[in-house]
Amino acid sequence: MDLKFSPQDEQYRERLRAWLDVNLKQHQAVSKAGDVEPVQAARDWQKTLCEGGYLGLSWPREYGGQEASLTQQVVVSEELARSGAPAPINTIGISILGPTLIQHGSEEQKQRYLPKILNGEELWCQGFSEPGAGSDLASLQTRAVAEGDHFVVNGQKVWTSLGMIADWCFLLVRTNPGAPKREGISYLLCNIKTPGITVRPLRNAGGGSHFCEMFFDDVRIPRENLVGEVNGGWHIARSTLDNERSGLSGVISIENSLDRLLQISASLNRGKERAIDSDSVQQQLAQLWIEKEGLKYLGFRNLSDQIANRPPGPAASVGKLFASRLRQKIGKAGFDIAGPLAQVGKKSPHSIARGRLQAMYFDSLGYSIGGGTSEIMQNIIAEKVLGLPRSYED
Amino acid sequence: MHFELSEEQNAIYDLVVGFMADKWSGDNRRQGLDSYPCQIPGELLREVADLGFYGISLDENSGGGGEPLLTSALIAEAAGGGLFPSLLTTTLVAAKALDLCDADSNWLAKVISGQQTVAIAIEEPNGCWGLDSIELTPQMDGQGGYLSGSKILVSDGDFAQVFLVAALLPDGPAFIRVNANAEGVEINSMRRLDGQSIVELEMKDVRFEQDDVLGDGAILNQVYDIWTVLIAADLLGNAQSVLRMTTDYAKERQQFARPIGSFQAVAHRLADIQVDVEIGRSLLYGACLALEEESDEATALVSAAKAWMNDLGVNAAETGLQLHGGIGYTWELDIHLHLRQARSNAVTLGDSKYHRARVASHLMSPEY
Ligand SMILES: Cc1cc2nc3c(=O)[nH]c(=O)nc-3n(C[C@H](O)[C@H](O)[C@H](O)COP(=O)(O)OP(=O)(O)OC[C@H]3O[C@@H](n4cnc5c(N)ncnc54)[C@H](O)[C@@H]3O)c2cc1C
Repeated sequence: MDLKFSPQDEQYRERLRAWLDVNLKQHQAVSKAGDVEPVQAARDWQKTLCEGGYLGLSWPREYGGQEASLTQQVVVSEELARSGAPAPINTIGISILGPTLIQHGSEEQKQRYLPKILNGEELWCQGFSEPGAGSDLASLQTRAVAEGDHFVVNGQKVWTSLGMIADWCFLLVRTNPGAPKREGISYLLCNIKTPGITVRPLRNAGGGSHFCEMFFDDVRIPRENLVGEVNGGWHIARSTLDNERSGLSGVISIENSLDRLLQISASLNRGKERAIDSDSVQQQLAQLWIEKEGLKYLGFRNLSDQIANRPPGPAASVGKLFASRLRQKIGKAGFDIAGPLAQVGKKSPHSIARGRLQAMYFDSLGYSIGGGTSEIMQNIIAEKVLGLPRSYED
Repeated sequence: MHFELSEEQNAIYDLVVGFMADKWSGDNRRQGLDSYPCQIPGELLREVADLGFYGISLDENSGGGGEPLLTSALIAEAAGGGLFPSLLTTTLVAAKALDLCDADSNWLAKVISGQQTVAIAIEEPNGCWGLDSIELTPQMDGQGGYLSGSKILVSDGDFAQVFLVAALLPDGPAFIRVNANAEGVEINSMRRLDGQSIVELEMKDVRFEQDDVLGDGAILNQVYDIWTVLIAADLLGNAQSVLRMTTDYAKERQQFARPIGSFQAVAHRLADIQVDVEIGRSLLYGACLALEEESDEATALVSAAKAWMNDLGVNAAETGLQLHGGIGYTWELDIHLHLRQARSNAVTLGDSKYHRARVASHLMSPEY
């Protein structure tokens, strides 16, 4: 048993660090100057990452990928997170759609879409959830009817992250209302500019508007934009859900939040002491560190499984559930530790870390809902890992 | 990058679990509760020795099995799950301690072969736990000295022929070898909650010679960390066993014409324990590896594993008891044995608060 990276991987890490030193600084300078509109700046950053060869690490070379080893992928996610580099803006395209197309897309689709997912030329959003279909995603109602060489789509999607800035959307639609619910769903790729689509921003609980609702009114989508078979969409969507739920990169962002909380605790005064000098604060921070380490080593175990070609399967839900709980504990601890000043607006000179704690807190609350709620993760673990009987008719 | 058990380790684990299921059951524990301490047949100890368990993580040239520390932890985990006597873990640690102290090889061989039981005495009745508890200071003379004072909570002291007593010597902390039958030694049973042996060791002017002094402060810390991680492993195995028992029961037991495991109030509690067990297993492997590699974070990771497993072990057993309903509250069901063991181990070598404080001092150290 060892957690060592090979000398080649370590050299690769050194190169990446040197690369980040130059390129990340440049990007940060541009963002700070504020001359470039933020979404454009984010797209440019993704392009820089892509051209540096630090995106699509597991993807085949012919579609712009790197065919890098799993350990190199870990090195990249570690270094990017540690340097504080922003995640690529097209994360949804990269982590969900890309692997789906590689597995299930036609040759034309792979050539057409994959390179532009990576270089950020086309941003993607995920149109799965609907007002009536969230946890029970397979009951979705958005209809698609085949008409000649098009599908005509009518219905509504909701909670679509990044819908306001996306160029494309991957959609689940119902193509056979008569079939059992999982057998009548198809997977479509849809250009947001297609006539008949209305996108409206939704403000989230934290005050930002990173997600939207999308309305489809007789939207004509070419048949060639179908992924896989007609009515075969459910299984395609499922096959990449586990991707969404596994992975080490989350741990490092949690590590960054925890480090920030430690710094804040060391900078807050409580009478003659610092907040971090109090026994109860130390106990709380220690517990968070313990859980973060647990998640990290769980990540290494999962990685070893992947290296040995054992797919994550339902066990990926363990990490997803634990990580979102841990994020929330960190978010809440921020409020506990800062006390009454936690509520102060970021423009006040009394605000703590310019509103960072508030952002951390509200961000954390979305993690146990998006990508499958914590209760659904518990159901999956109970049924698929422990083999307990289902709790409901489905 | 390879963070998983070797084939060898998986095989050893399966062998140990099978052996224990064969040779031991909760009934032995129940007997110990009625007539303390829980007795361990001599032939069983010899069989354990014959399988090479006690020295498994020692170097081959110390007469051991050459396996990493994690293999010992797997044995401790299996023992925890099978309610197997703590004497196994105590002896694993004693062998490791003697090896680290460069003790006489004949002595070590006796311990590895199960001919002699050595107990390690660390904590004292001063309200502090773990290493913080050591205050015992001998009176020194030219060739050795005299020990007076008492040690408490000494695991398996009822069976020990020899004690390694942690004390503060002029050059710093060390172990002092004390024979159970030496003059001035009194051993009083403390009756552990789960029927296993813990004792108070009372010493009045107990003579020791210079060559009875073993190890130093660094070794003491190492022994303590290794022992702590093995107790954490025991707690993990315990939780895993309770989870398995309770999951099986939840699949079988019918109420309202359906298995109780189909109620989410039941299923989600079991799912949460599954999550906590996976996190615990990850922490255990991480701590063992860090100790093996003498990483700077080793002590913090050991404490992380122990604090986590303390809470896990107790929570799993209490949840298991609840989810068995009335039968869970009976003497006949093994759940209370698991709970007792978890409750005891959760305060052995430092409770969660103590270990979180050790983690916090790591977080506040300038190197972090
Ligand atoms: C930050 C964020 C980003 C998101 N981004 C996207 C996106 O980009 N694309 C997209 O398609 N969707 C997105 N979503 C939507 C998300 O996938 C859904 O909100 C989620 O699946 C839950 O569905 P719902 O909102 O309809 O809640 P419901 O399913 O109505 O759930 C309500 C409550 O009931 C519980 N519940 C429901 N069913 C069960 C059950 N069987 N057992 C136990 N409890 C149950 C849930 O756990 C929850 O607590 C996002 C959501 C958030 C918060």
